[in-house]
Amino acid sequence: MGQMIFTGLLCGALLGFVLQRGRFCLTGGFRDMYLAKDNRMFNALLIAIAIQSVGVFTLIQTGAIEFNAGQIPWISTIVGAYVFGIGIVLAGGCATGTWYRAGEGLIGSWIALAGYMLTSAMMKTGALVPFNDSLKKYAVTNNSIPDTFGISVWPFILLLVLIVLFVVVRQLRKPKVKIPSLPAKRKGLNHLLFEKRWHPFLTAILVGLIAILAWPLSEATGRNSGLGITTPTANLLQYLVTGDKTKYLNWGVFLVLGILLGSFIAAKGSREFRFRVPDAGTAVSSFIGGVLMGVGASLASGCTIGNGLVMTAMMTWQGWVALLFMILGTWTASYFIFVRPRVKAGKQQAVAYQTTTA
Amino acid sequence: MKHKLPVLGMVCPFPLIEAQKAMESLNSGDELVIDFDCTQATESIPRWAAEAGHSITNYEQLGDASWTITIQKK
Repeated sequence: MGQMIFTGLLCGALLGFVLQRGRFCLTGGFRDMYLAKDNRMFNALLIAIAIQSVGVFTLIQTGAIEFNAGQIPWISTIVGAYVFGIGIVLAGGCATGTWYRAGEGLIGSWIALAGYMLTSAMMKTGALVPFNDSLKKYAVTNNSIPDTFGISVWPFILLLVLIVLFVVVRQLRKPKVKIPSLPAKRKGLNHLLFEKRWHPFLTAILVGLIAILAWPLSEATGRNSGLGITTPTANLLQYLVTGDKTKYLNWGVFLVLGILLGSFIAAKGSREFRFRVPDAGTAVSSFIGGVLMGVGASLASGCTIGNGLVMTAMMTWQGWVALLFMILGTWTASYFIFVRPRVKAGKQQAVAYQTTTA
Repeated sequence: MKHKLPVLGMVCPFPLIEAQKAMESLNSGDELVIDFDCTQATESIPRWAAEAGHSITNYEQLGDASWTITIQKK
């Protein structure tokens, strides 16, 4: 129990710290692929996936950890990931993003977190279990990509590493625009940890390394998987309302609590912590976003981290298909929230202009 | 001329979107003063301004999770 609390909180705190200081926001990253034609954050995610993939399959090869890809229910994975993608735009951050922004003092993220926690618990052990089960019945096949092709996982990892090297080199070769930064007021380690702007690729390397570390730490406590957010978040609520330690209290629960703690330390240390209250509109959309996140992530068996970062690295269909559909979900929501109002406003202006000139 | 953009309390990406919108209506040489409290905008607003070719005449942290940036339209 002590080990579980300590290593879970530690791993989570490292992750929360890195995410906060690196401004590692995948929701924003997916959205900007569409709105700004900017793939920087997606490329950063690919780096983190590749690093984790190499690290974890090396650990599996040496017998240090175990992994079983299991099966994938295609319909629920696709529907769930798409709904999740819409939810994270409404909530203003993905599952992990919501946890770490809660640590920065954003009350809107606390509200999103409440909705997310509630529906993910409802989908797993509550009123929505029949709905969850009914969608998970369809189109179930083998989940491991290498098993489908009947070959080793390593050619796929090699391919991913080559793609990552290609996009990283291409990105770094682009002409650089000097981005103005805040004047430095601190020195040494204090500056590096709490003030300096982190390059997204550096943040991605750290996230990849923490994702590798999560596997042995988690398995040592009997939980055979890596980073995960949705099930642990549901488990936290399930434990709080049932008091059942053996069933619901596990390494993952301390991991998500650690994210909150690490992000709080990072934000407090860099003078970025303050309780911030959203307006009514933002509060409502955060809650709806959280509700959709919980439903979507439970259907898809993972969020941006569980599916987007971990199951992709494990070379499963579930990871890559969910990643694709959650991106499509964020684009759909971005269209309705950011693009369409602007087009409409533009049209109204044109109409107003015509009426005044006519 | 100096214009002030009220985006305190807005979450990402709205401060940036509001800044882009406001910038369209300004004349070249006008300055836009943006006070914001959304952490992610410390990265996204200066990046957008630099990439769009505007210059940043002032950028500082005012207090806990509170920043101000002044962008001059190119």
